[in-house]
Amino acid sequence: MSETLLLVDDEEDIRRFLGLFLADLGYVVHAAANGEEALAVLDEVDPAIVLTDIKMPVMDGLELLKRIKAKSPDIEVVMISGHGDMDLAISCLQNDAADFVTKPINHDILDAALKRIDEKLAMRRELRQYTQNLEKLVREKSSRVVELERQLAAGQMAETMCQAISGLSADLGEGTGYFNEMPCFVAVHNASLEVVATNQLYKDRLGDMVGRHSWEVYAGQALRGFDGPIWKTFETGKGQRCRETMLCKNGNELPVMVHTSPIAATNGKVELVLEMAVDVSEIKRLQEELRVTQQKYMDLFDATPCYIAVRDREGTVVANNHRFVEDFGEGVGRACHDVFAHRSEPCPDCPAALTFADGEPHYHETVVTTRDGRQRNVLISTAAIRNAAGEVVEVMEMSADITSIRELQSHLTSLGLMLGSISHGVKGMLTALEGAVYRVESGLRRGDISRSQAAAEAVRTLVGRVRALVLNVLYYAKSRELAPETVDVAAFATSMAQTVAPKAAREGVLLETSIGADLGEMAVDAVNLQAALVNILENAVDACVADTAKPAHRIAFRISREGRTLVFDIEDNGMGMDQETREKAFTLFFSSKGLRGTGLGLFIANDMVVKHGGSIALTSEPGVGTHFSVRIPETSPAPVEAVREASAS
Amino acid sequence: MSKKTILTVDDDPNIRDYLEAVFTDHGYEVVTAENGDKAMELLATMRPDLITLDVEMPDKTGPWVSRAIQKNSALATIPIVVITGHSELQYIIPKAAAFLAKPFEADEVVRVVRGILGE
Repeated sequence: MSETLLLVDDEEDIRRFLGLFLADLGYVVHAAANGEEALAVLDEVDPAIVLTDIKMPVMDGLELLKRIKAKSPDIEVVMISGHGDMDLAISCLQNDAADFVTKPINHDILDAALKRIDEKLAMRRELRQYTQNLEKLVREKSSRVVELERQLAAGQMAETMCQAISGLSADLGEGTGYFNEMPCFVAVHNASLEVVATNQLYKDRLGDMVGRHSWEVYAGQALRGFDGPIWKTFETGKGQRCRETMLCKNGNELPVMVHTSPIAATNGKVELVLEMAVDVSEIKRLQEELRVTQQKYMDLFDATPCYIAVRDREGTVVANNHRFVEDFGEGVGRACHDVFAHRSEPCPDCPAALTFADGEPHYHETVVTTRDGRQRNVLISTAAIRNAAGEVVEVMEMSADITSIRELQSHLTSLGLMLGSISHGVKGMLTALEGAVYRVESGLRRGDISRSQAAAEAVRTLVGRVRALVLNVLYYAKSRELAPETVDVAAFATSMAQTVAPKAAREGVLLETSIGADLGEMAVDAVNLQAALVNILENAVDACVADTAKPAHRIAFRISREGRTLVFDIEDNGMGMDQETREKAFTLFFSSKGLRGTGLGLFIANDMVVKHGGSIALTSEPGVGTHFSVRIPETSPAPVEAVREASAS
Repeated sequence: MSKKTILTVDDDPNIRDYLEAVFTDHGYEVVTAENGDKAMELLATMRPDLITLDVEMPDKTGPWVSRAIQKNSALATIPIVVITGHSELQYIIPKAAAFLAKPFEADEVVRVVRGILGE
């Protein structure tokens, strides 16, 4: 082979002729004029042999020799000298020069010297080759051994598993290739945390990881060697179960559920770990879908413009939506009738109870009271919630707030309902009048004056009732402007007391009127406000009549002035009202008197007081009595139109 | 011939007074009851020739009284005159002999009652 040779000499002629001679010998010759120049090209030329003169300017041959040997000891350096200087020759050989040639150069000697060097180079090269080959061979052989060991272990593993699975599945029919056909990623790891074997699906999706580190398949792998499930299995000797993210061949991340199982050798030490990973991306997608659906359901539950409460068979609220909580407070854990109707007992007409009984939806319209005391007309629809066995376990009550609809209806379509509900009363009163007139006449005919007198008294009472009813109907049917007039309050109050006195006397109820001093005058719609207050007074009489528990009944009617406000207190010891009745008392068409009431009286009374800028406070207790406190401020009543606009907005 | 007896059942005292005056003036014996229970209590000790029955009363209504009478064979044949302000409620009492709508005049009641009693 042709060696590369660097020729260093300061004489150009020597470089040229010696160069030609060396080229003829088969060397690839490069030349340099001195030691420094030679060092500069040394790396680039990479010579096997350097042939250098000793006596040169800038850097001499001896210095070059030292530098070359320090840097590349394998380069063979032949020294050329013009002097037969023994000391210099020894110094060169001490510095590892390959040979020493004197000038004038004897071609044969140089040739022989170079041949020796060539042989030396060839031997060294061969030795290196051998060494390298040996290393490679050892590496090859040992990796083959490791590979064989792995294959053996994985083979045993797979064989055992296949046997197990085949055995298991033999009954089911197809028994072959289960390890590879398993719908999950199966891998076997050794204690050096290396993948020893995988199934086909693993290979297809995650790549050929055999021989790689166990944690490389996991996303965020940097530290996984020490906290991954494989490591943990070796550490603890126990199977692991965890959610992980694996990296697909294409770089995508894949959510998986990993199960590992230690495989111990006969000595009990964990030798291999079986890893099975199931792709849970589908499960994850379904879970996400479920979560979104549940969220949507909750949003719907909360956003529905209805009060929704779910109650169990015992009547306890188990769920309620935002709207419900807003207006009625948190109902969960409380009795439905308590939260919704402020009753101590279940409501008699509960639609949810019917749904529990027959599983069908039911509808019910009623009036409920919010926690801040507002009355809401609601239409309750119920729906059964069944368990897997089809039994009704809970009932959902959806209550639509139809207050505004009812308010609108109250001035429009419900006029017919009102007429229907009061026509019976009108007919009854007319019949009674007919009867009273008959008795007056027949008394006169027979000269039975007492019969006539009693009948005439009945006529007067009945005319009063007819008048009140007609006023109510007119008031309701036609929104009247307030007609304020200045009245003497004491006289106004006395007139009211006198209106009610006969009825109270007839029913044996003691009416105690107390009219405060210095009540002065006031601008009110006297006719309508009197009707409103008389209505409350007559209700008080009715409440006393209806109460059979107490031997004697009385009504206290007090009129007083608090600054610029007139206060009318009407207090009876009649039957009293429960909370539900109290709350519904001022609602249109609600009557606690059954067929005797029209549901108009207190609604109109309240309306009239409100139009005067006043308010009615009601306190009552069943069996004890009722107290109405009507407050009328001393201001000119607002015009009806203004009031209506304010309430409509 | 002894006077015929009429039982008047009505919760409104004005109506009871009215019917009592009318029937008494026309030669009938009158017994009144203000509710269904009182009526059945009276019927346990007497057998009137005719009953006037209000439909809408608190608690025991007209139909309830009517059914109670029909169940008792000793009373089932007594003619019942239904009196109510609700004309649509007249058929609620199946075997009523007659129906009178409120308001009514005295002459009308007397004419109906006499017709039923064959006078």
